[in-house]
Amino acid sequence: MAPSRGPQPLARTLHATLANHRGPVHVVRYAKGSAKYVLSGGQDRTVRLWNPELGTEIKTFAAHGYEVLSISVSHDNASFASSGGDRSVFVWDVTAGVTTRRLAGHMSKVNVVELNDNATVLASGSYDSTVRLWDLRAQSRAPIQILEEAGDAVQTLHVDSTSIISGSVDGHVRTYDLRKGELRSDFIGQPVTSVVPSQDGTTLLVATLDSHVRLFDMTSGKLLNDFTDHSQTSYRCRACFGHAEATVVCGDEDGRVWAWDLVDATALQPKPPPKVHDKVITWTEHHPSDPGEMITASADGTVKVWRHPKSTG
Amino acid sequence: MSTTRLKRKLGDLGIDPASKRANESFCLIGTPLPPLEKSKDTGEFVPLWKQEVRDEKGRRRLHGAFTGGFSAGYFNSVGSKEGWAPSTFVSSRSDRAKNRAARPEDFMDEEDLAEIRADQNLVDEHEEMDLLGGTQAEMSKRGQVDDGEKDAITMALEQSLLPAPKDSMGARILKKMGWRLGQGIGPRVTWRQHEIQYGRNPGADSMEVDEEAKKHMYPSRDTPLLIVDRKDNFHGLGYEPGLGLHASLGAQGSDGSGGNKGPKLAGGFGLGALNDADEDDLDVYDSSNAHERNRTAYDASDMYDDERIVMGTTRRNPPVGRNSAKAQPPPRPALARGAFRDGKPPVEGFIVSDKPVAEDLVFPIPDVPPGWTPNPRRVWEQEKLKEGDKENLSTGQPPYIPSQPQTHAQWKTGISADQRGAVLGETPLAAGPRSIFEYISKKDQERIKDAAAGRFGPPSTPDSVPQASSTSVPTLPHTEVHVAQAALRGFQPFTSDPAKQARYTAYLHAHADPASGATIPARLSDQDAEAFAKEMRDYAKAAALFRPISGAMAGRFTSAAVLDLGPKIVEGLHTPTAEAEWDGEREQMDVDEVKVETKEEDPKVHAARVGMYGPLTREVKPWQPARLLCKRFGVKDPNPEVAAEKPMPSTSSAPAEFTTDSAASGAVSVALSTSGAGGARNGKRDLENIGLGEDDGQGDDVLTYERPAMDVFKAIFASDDEDSDVDMDGGDHVEGKEQRQETPTPASPAPAKQVDVVPSTSTVIPQPKPSVVSEVVDLTSFKPTFIPRDSKSKKAKGGESEAKDKKDKKKKGSTKTALVSFNLDEDGAESLSLSVSQQKRRDRDRDRPKKKKRKDKEGRADDDEEDMWVEKPPPDIVKGLPANIPPDDTSDSAEIRQEDTGLPRGRKRAIDFM
Repeated sequence: MAPSRGPQPLARTLHATLANHRGPVHVVRYAKGSAKYVLSGGQDRTVRLWNPELGTEIKTFAAHGYEVLSISVSHDNASFASSGGDRSVFVWDVTAGVTTRRLAGHMSKVNVVELNDNATVLASGSYDSTVRLWDLRAQSRAPIQILEEAGDAVQTLHVDSTSIISGSVDGHVRTYDLRKGELRSDFIGQPVTSVVPSQDGTTLLVATLDSHVRLFDMTSGKLLNDFTDHSQTSYRCRACFGHAEATVVCGDEDGRVWAWDLVDATALQPKPPPKVHDKVITWTEHHPSDPGEMITASADGTVKVWRHPKSTG
Repeated sequence: MSTTRLKRKLGDLGIDPASKRANESFCLIGTPLPPLEKSKDTGEFVPLWKQEVRDEKGRRRLHGAFTGGFSAGYFNSVGSKEGWAPSTFVSSRSDRAKNRAARPEDFMDEEDLAEIRADQNLVDEHEEMDLLGGTQAEMSKRGQVDDGEKDAITMALEQSLLPAPKDSMGARILKKMGWRLGQGIGPRVTWRQHEIQYGRNPGADSMEVDEEAKKHMYPSRDTPLLIVDRKDNFHGLGYEPGLGLHASLGAQGSDGSGGNKGPKLAGGFGLGALNDADEDDLDVYDSSNAHERNRTAYDASDMYDDERIVMGTTRRNPPVGRNSAKAQPPPRPALARGAFRDGKPPVEGFIVSDKPVAEDLVFPIPDVPPGWTPNPRRVWEQEKLKEGDKENLSTGQPPYIPSQPQTHAQWKTGISADQRGAVLGETPLAAGPRSIFEYISKKDQERIKDAAAGRFGPPSTPDSVPQASSTSVPTLPHTEVHVAQAALRGFQPFTSDPAKQARYTAYLHAHADPASGATIPARLSDQDAEAFAKEMRDYAKAAALFRPISGAMAGRFTSAAVLDLGPKIVEGLHTPTAEAEWDGEREQMDVDEVKVETKEEDPKVHAARVGMYGPLTREVKPWQPARLLCKRFGVKDPNPEVAAEKPMPSTSSAPAEFTTDSAASGAVSVALSTSGAGGARNGKRDLENIGLGEDDGQGDDVLTYERPAMDVFKAIFASDDEDSDVDMDGGDHVEGKEQRQETPTPASPAPAKQVDVVPSTSTVIPQPKPSVVSEVVDLTSFKPTFIPRDSKSKKAKGGESEAKDKKDKKKKGSTKTALVSFNLDEDGAESLSLSVSQQKRRDRDRDRPKKKKRKDKEGRADDDEEDMWVEKPPPDIVKGLPANIPPDDTSDSAEIRQEDTGLPRGRKRAIDFM
């Protein structure tokens, strides 16, 4: 659409503010498929389903006894998994609004939960420094496998069709390759807060607590690019790819949303981005298909939907 | 059947089985009936729901504190099955008139009512006895009737004339004593007194006096009882119902003192609504009704004091008791005295004193000179000038008084006798022996001192002590070499203060290695000798304190502080020193380990810091995903054979030279590479190390035991046709094995450990491990058959050379099991397995094929046992690995080792399709 050959600028026009959460919002995820809906979880122990187009709340899922730290939506949008301070992972039925499974076994709060491609396996990473893999097909409530390699809390996970990638506070990104049967541990050196691989599965975007977002080559573990300028030192903030993976987007602890060119690692204009949230941004996620939509969640209790002004028209 | 036999036996013994005694039964079947008469046992246990509470009349009583209380017990509820239920709510809205207030009697049973009646009876008797209606009931009765038609006169008449319905006992006694109704109580009085009592002047001639009347004695005047009304309303004090506001408040102004009846009360505290106004509460300044303040029964008395009648005594006049004192008015001051000089009367109750008031002596204030201003400083300066040079000496001050303010404790304790003596310059008294040491001879003292010094750490040599006493400069303590060395390795106490820590380390270095020329840290510029000595003493003490645990214990602890405390500690740990008291080898190992660790860790961290991510920061380890996980992910199991062959343990020191897929990689290269690796590793092993921590092959022994290859089983169990099948499959293996035998290993894996159980094996070139033909049998079709052992061996002997080879292998396998080491058998239980266990193993192995089949059916349920099987590593990995793998790797869990093996197997099992 833009005639220039540079990366498309970030959607910076506020489209809607989803502000029903009380307390910080820890996670916001797009639904799968056409991603018309948004699920957010926060400190107020609820998971809320939103229509980002209208900015209205559709449903509240309340069963958690503690804060909700992570959400993962299944491929068919029929269920989702959430986890948080109550040391168990809840699998929800979206329409009924009830939990269909509660997977208990972690010793402390579960930082992250991820479903695999066909929602048969659920991976959960916890503060107890383990990743547990749960079978959602069988009735058994015992985990299939426990990955105990991490030396500290597991902060982020990514599960794709053949591998499980975990990022831990001990500064390692561990790639469990199921096909090869090997574990590749990449030492980043700083607590890892988010791990997002690119679509083709060759590069990996890793955000760490030294205010860096790094892009790694997954096959060799080499550093491809390093994105910095933002401030991220003590809170988990998820970095993500922008549209078409031409940019890298990450919020920072001042409430700004930063965007970088993927290739030359320069921050896109405006250079110090405007402060759009009052507190630390906990999650950024770009719409999977729409080039001009993005959501951010923040500790100020709001989820904001960003769009390009022209894409709305 | 048995009974018949028993009968027969009894018959043999001569017992008639039909007799009654023989048939006596000692068995009771069923529950015995209860006894006919009820047991009188009141203490017998009754279940809770059967317990009843009964009163003395045998009725069930309710729970609760009161008889007839309405607390509803759960079990002993109010007689009915349902128990007590609160009466249902009935609205009184429609029938308000019907709803009468419930009286207490409504809730009482006959007992309570009877009790109440009895109480009322008693009250009635009292009321009857009350002559003048003093009781409350009478009063209220009177009060009610009062306002009606009866005026005061009729009431008085009634009161005096109407006899009480029934005389009380007191009245009857009085009557017997001559008292009549309407008379006063007391002795009879003369006419004159009688007249006085009635307020008439007996001396007056106003009325003619009957002479005869004077001769008689009269009963005393009847004094009505002073009845104080009880205040049982809520009106304010002094308020009378029916009075208007003005009448009650300031009515005196308008209608005089008519409304004011009682004495005026002094305002103030403490006079409650129900308190009677006492004498003290009366307003003494209220002169308006002074005349009313007469509380005697009749006014005449004060005029005729001498004629007062006092009951019970004939004495006249002496003022007895409170009554008389009250009755006697204070001597009224004469009017002349009772007025001030200007003629004003004093306040009521006061008299004017005769004596003039004595005046105080007052001295006049001295005159202040004009122009004088207060200036205390000038006075002070004058004093100073006067003192002159004496001031500097401060002799005026007593020497023992401390110039600085004393603490409270000092002040409290004062100064001790010793202090005082010192102040006064006394020669101290020869103190008595204070401790037991005084009584010990000098030699013994020395000995004890030596012993104590040796016991409690040798930081300072004894010879430094006399030096300290002889020279004024305090000597520096000395730390023993080994103490300093140990302290260098140990806890670093001054990490919070880096400068001090550096000095401490320098101190330790100086003492740890005196030959090196390192000196103790120099005195700081701002440090005097004392402080410096103290610092050094601190260091010596710290060095003695923070020595690490020596010897074998040290290896068992990892001090968190050591790891956390920065570069100093690392430096200390790096210093390898050979010490006699340390286990030299062990320490060497520790240091090596540390070095390896730091070498491994450092480049990674460094690379990460620099940003050189890549191979340096990447660490690839084999990882075995759970089978179910692979299935769920739709991924083929990366090492499927691991699961399949799990029950067969293997070694990792020379991992599985012979594998089925020799097509994938040349058997020669595999054998060479593995043997090379094994040789390099095995070079480290020697006899002393076996079983100790340095024995890096220690963990291997766990897996050294080999389950004999499948063809061994075949040789034993299988029929011949199956055997041939196997041969077709395992043709390569034979080749490989031959090759293996042709290439002798440079060093046997553990020759010292081997115990030659079978002598024939000594001729065979010792191999690091027996060759394993791990997988040639189709388990689904394989059925073990049991053949007696002798026939088996014959068969084996009679077989082809292959069979012989197999037998050899088997023997080798058995020799392997005879290693003198800690072996883990399959269960994981540790046992010192010698040849004794062989038989067991063999037995177990015979069962194995069956078990395996079962396990295959069970599928992946038992992953743990799969771990026992160690697979041959793929050749490329073996090449990539360094020859000497760090010992921790080899002694790691079997899982990791099994993960070394990523070689795909050609043959599939049924389990793979599950």
